[in-house]
Amino acid sequence: MNLNKILPYNKHTLKSFFSFEFTALNIFMFLLTIGLVTAMFYGIGVYLVHGHHAYGVTRQHAWGLLIAMYVFFVVSSTGLCIMSSLGHVFNIKAFKIIGKRAIIGAIIAILTGFAVIAFEIGHPVRMVIYNVLTPGLTSAIWWMGTLYGLYLFFIILEFFFLNNSSHKYSRIFGLAGLVVGLAAHSNLGAVFGFLVSRPIANGPFFPLYFILSAMVTGSYLLFLIYGWRYKMKFPPEVEKFMITLAQVLGLLLAILIFFEIWRMLTAVYGQMPERADIAIHIITSKHFLIGELLLGMLIPFVIIIFSKGRAIKTLVYASITGMVGIFWMRYDLVHDTQLAPMMPLKIHEYTSAPGFVEYIPSAVEWMISIGAIGLAFMMYYAADKFFNLDHTKEDSH
Amino acid sequence: MARYGMALDYKNCINCKACESACKEENGILLGADSHRIWVGVRGIEGVFPNLSIGSSSYQPSQCQQCDNAPCQSVCPTNATYYDDNGVVRVNPDQCILCTYCMQACPYDARYIDDRTMTVDKCNFCSDTRMIQGETTTACQATCPTKVRIFGDLDDPQSEISKVLRDREYYKLKEHLGTQPKLFYLT
Repeated sequence: MNLNKILPYNKHTLKSFFSFEFTALNIFMFLLTIGLVTAMFYGIGVYLVHGHHAYGVTRQHAWGLLIAMYVFFVVSSTGLCIMSSLGHVFNIKAFKIIGKRAIIGAIIAILTGFAVIAFEIGHPVRMVIYNVLTPGLTSAIWWMGTLYGLYLFFIILEFFFLNNSSHKYSRIFGLAGLVVGLAAHSNLGAVFGFLVSRPIANGPFFPLYFILSAMVTGSYLLFLIYGWRYKMKFPPEVEKFMITLAQVLGLLLAILIFFEIWRMLTAVYGQMPERADIAIHIITSKHFLIGELLLGMLIPFVIIIFSKGRAIKTLVYASITGMVGIFWMRYDLVHDTQLAPMMPLKIHEYTSAPGFVEYIPSAVEWMISIGAIGLAFMMYYAADKFFNLDHTKEDSH
Repeated sequence: MARYGMALDYKNCINCKACESACKEENGILLGADSHRIWVGVRGIEGVFPNLSIGSSSYQPSQCQQCDNAPCQSVCPTNATYYDDNGVVRVNPDQCILCTYCMQACPYDARYIDDRTMTVDKCNFCSDTRMIQGETTTACQATCPTKVRIFGDLDDPQSEISKVLRDREYYKLKEHLGTQPKLFYLT
């Protein structure tokens, strides 16, 4: 059986696999990737020896940076899947060319997310076993995990059929991946939204916001992926796609800003404890103002508005700030949910003044979670070498 | 079959912390500030001099509220948290994957990580230490010098706790969340 006929791939020797053009940017990315992956593996080594004690998490702040980065990666994955489905499933012409590259990005992002969460969940092997043997059907984590597993299966099949140009099947699995991905991702929002004990997170906001912010994340990533692929010298059909993408991103950002305004107004209004006080803390924090608002939303939004979506090269750079902003959105989501101490009748214990729960990620947490970005870079490099991810003439018609 | 609950005559508490010690001893809880199943909260005197409210100063022992509708149970992805036959919310450490979702969901901060099993643990009314041996009291109750704690079967009309709850007023913590706690603070 010839594997190349089933799944076309490029053959490589070890030398050809590791050879790349020696430009300053390539060498920088090479060193960055090696640095990040080394940091990740070092962090994993420390974690394997010391367990959760290597992390900055506490009884009151049990979820830390790794959960935030898991969310970051799976949001990226769902975002890429949704954006690619615009062309692939919904037949928007400009988006038809991104199929393979977006889907391989989605696969890589979710695998990286799983790699991160494996070092946060205390017993990942046990999780796989009891997820099946004694499923907790009322748990959003169960649905999220199970549906993400199914989602990964579908998008791998989608990629497989995209690669051997079986458009009928790639469309079927693309649709299946999209539907299951949306379900999985809104369930991830519900992991926070279902927390009745946390008024700042409880409610329908997060499941909806997760889908919206996934689309924004997917757009930023597509700018970065295509900016990198063509080194800012875009062929006409790619340029057309990127201008359309910029206009869609402008709309998405406008909706996101609108969502955030009303979230904060409703949270502050009425001074409800554990909700209004936290909302005020959020909107006066640097994480939110500089990280989320300025880097994540306003800079790309202003560029899109003033250039009418035509400044695609600038937007590639703005997508870097955008992704930094997205990181802070994930971090704040996890951290702010846990800000209010759950201390019934313990509030004056040891005469400490009641305040917000504090959390500072440890060096090991930074190494594993940010290092994982290197893992994603490495997988993307390998995928780019092995598969032909560029669109064909057939794709753009 | 019973439906265990606990009434706390908290105004009798003298904050001797004998209950905390007894709980650690009986259930083999590790030392350390984060490892505690039960605690005694201290409410200071409220107000500004000279309008100080001496009545507001009190000690308030607390622990897992053994909710009838426990958020920690419904969020558990592997059903490691379960209700036993006596309505006690318990954890099966063999099934716990340490995702700590229950610690997020519990409105009472009643859960902690047991570093020996690396799973989440909580008060289980001494089910696996004392109740299993036929005892009828929890360690915290048995040791309390001022008889703050009254433990028993809420379904048995003749039990001491049922009688107390008939005769005295009480409140429950964060009842508005719909958790239906089975710890009753006698007023």
